Amino acid sequence: MRRREAVQFLGAALALPFIPRNAEKAIKLAEEIHRRLGDVPFRTLNPDQQKLVTAIAEMIIPETDTPGATSVKVPQFIDLILTEWASDDERNAFLAGLKDIDVQSVAMGSPRFLDLAELKRGEFLTGLDAKRPQKEGAALAFERIKTLTIYGYFTSEPVQANVLKTQMFFNGYDGNVPFTPRV
Amino acid sequence: MADTYDAIVVGSGISGGWAAKELTEHGLKTIVLEAGRPIDPAVDYVEHVMPYQKRYRGMGDRNRLERYQPIQTQCGACDEYAGKFFVNDLDNPYSTPEGKPFSWIRGRQVGGKSIMWGRCVFRWSDLDYEANAREGVGVDWPIRYKDMAPWWSYVEKFVGVQGRREGLAHLPDGEFMQPWPLNAAEQKARDVLLTKFNGERLVTNMRLAVITENHLGRQKCHLCGNCYRGCVTLSYFSSLNSTLPAARKTGNLTLRPFSVVHSVIYDPKTKKASGVRVVDGNTKEMFEVKAKVIFLCAAALESTRILLNSLSPEFPTGLGNSSGELGHNLMDHIMGGGATGELPWAKDRMEVGRRPDAIYVPRFRNVKSKHPDFQRGYGFEGRAERAGWERGSSMPGFGASFKKSLIGDLGPWEMTFDGFGEMLPRHENYISIDPHLVDAWGIPALHINCKYSENELKMQDDMVVTATEMLEAMGAKNIRTFKENNAPGLVIHETGTARMGRDPKTSVVNSHNQVWDAPNVFMTDGACMASNANQNPSITYMAMTARAVNYAVGQMKRREL
Repeated sequence: MRRREAVQFLGAALALPFIPRNAEKAIKLAEEIHRRLGDVPFRTLNPDQQKLVTAIAEMIIPETDTPGATSVKVPQFIDLILTEWASDDERNAFLAGLKDIDVQSVAMGSPRFLDLAELKRGEFLTGLDAKRPQKEGAALAFERIKTLTIYGYFTSEPVQANVLKTQMFFNGYDGNVPFTPRV
Repeated sequence: MADTYDAIVVGSGISGGWAAKELTEHGLKTIVLEAGRPIDPAVDYVEHVMPYQKRYRGMGDRNRLERYQPIQTQCGACDEYAGKFFVNDLDNPYSTPEGKPFSWIRGRQVGGKSIMWGRCVFRWSDLDYEANAREGVGVDWPIRYKDMAPWWSYVEKFVGVQGRREGLAHLPDGEFMQPWPLNAAEQKARDVLLTKFNGERLVTNMRLAVITENHLGRQKCHLCGNCYRGCVTLSYFSSLNSTLPAARKTGNLTLRPFSVVHSVIYDPKTKKASGVRVVDGNTKEMFEVKAKVIFLCAAALESTRILLNSLSPEFPTGLGNSSGELGHNLMDHIMGGGATGELPWAKDRMEVGRRPDAIYVPRFRNVKSKHPDFQRGYGFEGRAERAGWERGSSMPGFGASFKKSLIGDLGPWEMTFDGFGEMLPRHENYISIDPHLVDAWGIPALHINCKYSENELKMQDDMVVTATEMLEAMGAKNIRTFKENNAPGLVIHETGTARMGRDPKTSVVNSHNQVWDAPNVFMTDGACMASNANQNPSITYMAMTARAVNYAVGQMKRREL
C-alpha cells in the first residue's frame, strides 16, 4: 500500500460512512503484519544450500540500477515457501535437485556449482533453462528457483513501490496509452 | 427481539438484499436471517492489500486451504486475500456419487457471494425464454421478456451497470452508463472480427455492475482490479454496498447474522407457511421466527435444501415437492473451453488502470442458424492484456537483460476467449437430502447428483474451435487452446431445483415465484430457474426478486396473502 496515495484518495471520499476513520487503522495493521514477517530465519535450507540458492537467484535477477534478488530477500522467501507451503514431496524433490546441481557441476570441472567460474556458471544455468520443464533433478530445482525468484522479487515491497510503482488508484481507464519499451 | 415480522428473508446476498430493500421500502417490518457472520467493510475488505503484506504473497496459505477449504479453493477467488469469504468445507459437508463430483462454492456472511461475484450482468431475450417450449425440453417458462424488461430496468438503474448499446435482439441492451473503452488491442480485434465474420462474432465491452460515474452515494471505480476482495468505495454492486444499506435506511430492517435456517413451518389450518425454524450459528439452539411472507434467497441449492428439510404430514417429502420436481433439474453453466493467442498489433500501446473484466462475445450459435451438434449456445468472456513481469517464469533466459526486459517491456498483447455455455435442465440432475450427513449445526445435508451431458461437452468442443477461428482471423500467433474438465458447480451459476412453471403438477413455483404448495413462500434466487440460458444470471435474480416482492405486496394489500 502506498500510504500517502491511499490516504489522499480516501480523504476525498469523506461522504462515505465508514472509510476515513478506519483507513488509517487498516493501513497500520497491514504495515504491522508486514514488519512482523520482515525477518524470517532460514528453516529449511542449510548454510551451503542458502549460498547456492542465493547465488542462483542473484544470477536470475542481479543487482543493477535496481535492486537484485538478494537485497529484497528472495532467498528467505524461497525458504519460507519450502518450509510452510511446499508439500514434503515437493520440498524433497527441490533439495535433491540442489544436490544434483553440484553433482552435474563435476562434469563442468568443479566439485560444486559455487566453485565454477562465473562464465561456466552461466553456461550451466543456460543449459538447465533450456531443459525446463523437468520433473526432477537440477533442471527442476532451477525451474523452481527461477519461478520463485521472479515472483518473490516482483511482489516484494521495494520492487512494487520503487521499481514497478504499483498504483491502486486510477482516475479512469485508458487502454490506448503510448508505450515505448525501455530495454 | 420480537419473533414476529411482516416478512422473513432467508439469505443476505444478491437476491436477499433485493428482497430486503423492496420489502422494507414497501413498509414491511422485515427480518433478514443470514447464516454467516457480519462483515465490517473497514476491516474485512482487502482489495488494496499488497502481495508483500501477505505471508505467502498471495499464493495462499496452502496447507490451511487444502485442509479446511479443499472444495472452495477450486475457485480461484478463494485465495490468500479472499478465502475468508468462502465457507469452511468441513462445517458445510455434502455428498456426491462416486465419479460424479460437483463443486459447490459458497459464501456465508452478510453479503453472501455478492462480495466475491463476477459482476457480469446480462439480460435474457425470448430466444432464451422460449427455448424450452420450442425444443420440448423441461417445462415452458410462464414468463417472457416483456414480463421481465421493466424489472431489469428497475434494478439496473439502482445497481449501476456499464455497457455498450449494441442493439442485439438476443442480448437486449439495458440501462447502461458509459463503459470503460476497449483497449487498443481489443478495439482492433472488434474491427477485424466485424469484417471477417459479418458482424456475427462481436467483441463488445463487458456489461458490468461496476460504476464508471458516482452513483447513489457510491464512488466511481478506481480500477484497482481486485473486486472480489471487497470495495471500500462501494464501486461495484453488492448487497452489502447497496441494497442492505437502502433497506436499513427505512427503519424496517432487522438483520440477524449467525442464523442458519433449518426449515419452513407449514400451518395446515391456513395452508400457508407460518415461519421458519432457525439454528443459532453460535449457540446451536433452535428457535422460530414468524411472518406473513417468507422469501427464500439463500442461493439455489440452500433454498431448496430448506424446503427438502421442511417435512410435515401434509408434505412428507418436503414443502413444495407435490410435483416431485423439488430438487430436480439442477443446472450450472459449462466453461473452460477456448483459446489464447498473441495479437500482431498495438505493440506501441499499453493500459493504465486495471479493469476487472474486459470484453464479451455474445452468443452466435443457434441464433440465426442451427448448429448440427448441440442445442442452445455460449458466449465468450475475454480480454487482451500484456503480462508484464508475470511472463518471466515462462520466458527463456535470466540475468541483467532478462530483468530489464521484465521491468521495461510488457510482452505481447495476448487475447483470450473463454466460453460460458448453457446447460440443459434434466430431471436426472438432482439434489436430495443425504440421510446420513448433517452439517456443523445438525441440519441434514445435501446429496448432489449432477453431470454434464453430451450437449454441453459438444458445446465446449465448439468453444475451442470458434475461439481458435477468431484468433486465426486476427492473425494471432502462438495460439494455445484449452478444454478443462471441470466438475459442474465450478462456474458458480448453479440454478434450478425448484423450477418455475405454469402447472403445479410439473413445477415448484408459479410465474410470480410463489411456491405452489404454500403461496406465502417465494423463491427468487437461482432455484426457480426453468432453464439457464448462457448469460451470467445474477441480475435476473435481482429483477425477479423485485418483481416478486411487488406482487407479494399487492397480494398482501388485497388481503389475498
